[in-house]
Amino acid sequence: MNGQLLAQSLVLGILTGGLYGLTSVGLSLIFGIMRIINIAHAALIVLGSYLALALFRSFGLDPLLSILLLIPFFLLLGGAIQWGILDKLSSKDLTLTVLATFGVAIIVEGLQGAIWSSTYVSIRTPYSLSSVQVAGLYIPVVRVMAGLASFVLLAAVFVLLYRTNLGRAIRATTQNRTAAQLVGVHAGFVTTVAFAAGLAMAGAAGPLLGMLYSFYPATHWLLIGKLLAIVVLGGLGSLTGTFAAALVLGVAEQVAGVTLPLEWGPMLFYVLLFGTLIVRPQGFFGAVRRGSL
Amino acid sequence: MTGAAALQRWWPWVPLLVLVLLPVGIRETFYLDLLMTTFMYAAITLGWDIMGGYAGYVSLGTVGFYGLGSYAGALLLLRFNIPVFVSAPFIGVLCSLVGAGLGWIALRTRAAAFVIVTLTFTSIVQLLALNLKGLTNGSSGLYMPLLTLPNNLILLPFYYYMLALLVFAYFVSRAIRGSKFGLGLIAIREEEEKAEGLGVDTSLYKILAFAISVFFACVAGALRAQYLNYVDPDIAFDLFITLSPIVMALVGGRGTLIGPLLGAFLVQPLSQYLVFLLPSSVAGQLHLVALGVVLLLVVLFMPDGIVNAYRSARAGGSGWRGRRQTAPPAEAAP
Repeated sequence: MNGQLLAQSLVLGILTGGLYGLTSVGLSLIFGIMRIINIAHAALIVLGSYLALALFRSFGLDPLLSILLLIPFFLLLGGAIQWGILDKLSSKDLTLTVLATFGVAIIVEGLQGAIWSSTYVSIRTPYSLSSVQVAGLYIPVVRVMAGLASFVLLAAVFVLLYRTNLGRAIRATTQNRTAAQLVGVHAGFVTTVAFAAGLAMAGAAGPLLGMLYSFYPATHWLLIGKLLAIVVLGGLGSLTGTFAAALVLGVAEQVAGVTLPLEWGPMLFYVLLFGTLIVRPQGFFGAVRRGSL
Repeated sequence: MTGAAALQRWWPWVPLLVLVLLPVGIRETFYLDLLMTTFMYAAITLGWDIMGGYAGYVSLGTVGFYGLGSYAGALLLLRFNIPVFVSAPFIGVLCSLVGAGLGWIALRTRAAAFVIVTLTFTSIVQLLALNLKGLTNGSSGLYMPLLTLPNNLILLPFYYYMLALLVFAYFVSRAIRGSKFGLGLIAIREEEEKAEGLGVDTSLYKILAFAISVFFACVAGALRAQYLNYVDPDIAFDLFITLSPIVMALVGGRGTLIGPLLGAFLVQPLSQYLVFLLPSSVAGQLHLVALGVVLLLVVLFMPDGIVNAYRSARAGGSGWRGRRQTAPPAEAAP
């Protein structure tokens, strides 16, 4: 592999890693605060892709701009799912919450298929085929935009979590719900906000992924596997760990893609997932916390 | 033996006898196919419930094992000329070994890892089926030779084989329920740390339970491949194979012997009828939606299923643990 190719895959990998970060940090946030594995996460990402496609086709709305509409929509949807379904189960075991999010994933997939049919689609903008040239590297415009948008959105989420009182309340509830309630945190409200924020990240990632890859209703099964691999590698519930793992896997996937046939790409994620579970179930990047798995 | 005790002991044989004799009277392929599919789902659901109901660990990887069984059956036939009817039980054992391996990875920790591993296992097997083109012929799939039987009889061996699988699943599940092993699994579901403290080897129990539970999906997959004379990644990794048994177990009642049977015999005919009613272009999709909605409703409003709800209503207790007749009353009676 020559240097040019390596640099190219490094840049592409970091850009993709940002997108993986946007999608998996939300999943990790939800697990951290609610102890719920949101099986529907990727299905809702694909829903974001479909909605962006519909907006683009009907109104010519640029996918990047549709993110601004999708964020409030997914915040409301997240609030509704949390309030209407998950909150009713939170006192019960993981079994039921997993089955509930699995049910949501199934419903979303089925509805998408009924409305938009089960064939491959993609969001083709006028700039879909153009590239930018940076220091001798040709990077497709959509990948630059998706990567940058992901980093901006992720930065906003991290500012929310680490620089505001609400974020402090979310982190406190994640660490110790009872103690947080004792010092006056309204844990129920905070949990709903965190879940809605996680879904908003999923919804915002939808248009970005839809610009890069073609999709159909069942693609979310492949995606959720990748995201769960990232989250486990980063340490389930650890946000910075998840972000680090997302970058590492984004780059690893690109570098592997140079030598490995494309169709084997997802295997990298699964191998790392199983390897992590065998060697270090608590993940590699996150702080070791009791009961994190 | 009193009449009631005799009834208790012998009643499962009555419906079995009816099902065995049914093909004598009914020759319509539609009904026999429906029954056979129902037997298949009932067996898979009984298997799923050993892990999901007794031990309380939800597997989202059922179709991974089913698909593995389908391909194993097809390949053993095409490469080594071993008929699926002969190889199926051995394929089941092979899958149990794979299940034990997966369990070893996923079950040393708690439930979250198990969900993740079973979910990705399906993706892995599917990826292998798609990409190992030399072996599996990729997305074009593998054609298997037809059985040499007259057309009107071709369904019968599958009908009886699936029925036998169902009966076997029933007795395995019943044997586990009545054993120390089964009690250990239920203890794991109720309070894993306490079970461990009481000397239950929780990891071993869970791995063993998972290995047993995947056997049935695998055998069913092998048989179904021969029944269709064809296997490809779409057919072998049909989402319904994972989804339906979960819905069936929850509707009927998790952790019971009758619940999975009841669930399968309720949900599968209704599913088929629904697909029959819907316009064919969206039937599969809306079938998904319907099962998803049923799953959500059951999780929200009747997580204990029909059997447990009935039992606890009769016992005046509450919750799906209503069958624990020696349990202390949760609240003081008014």
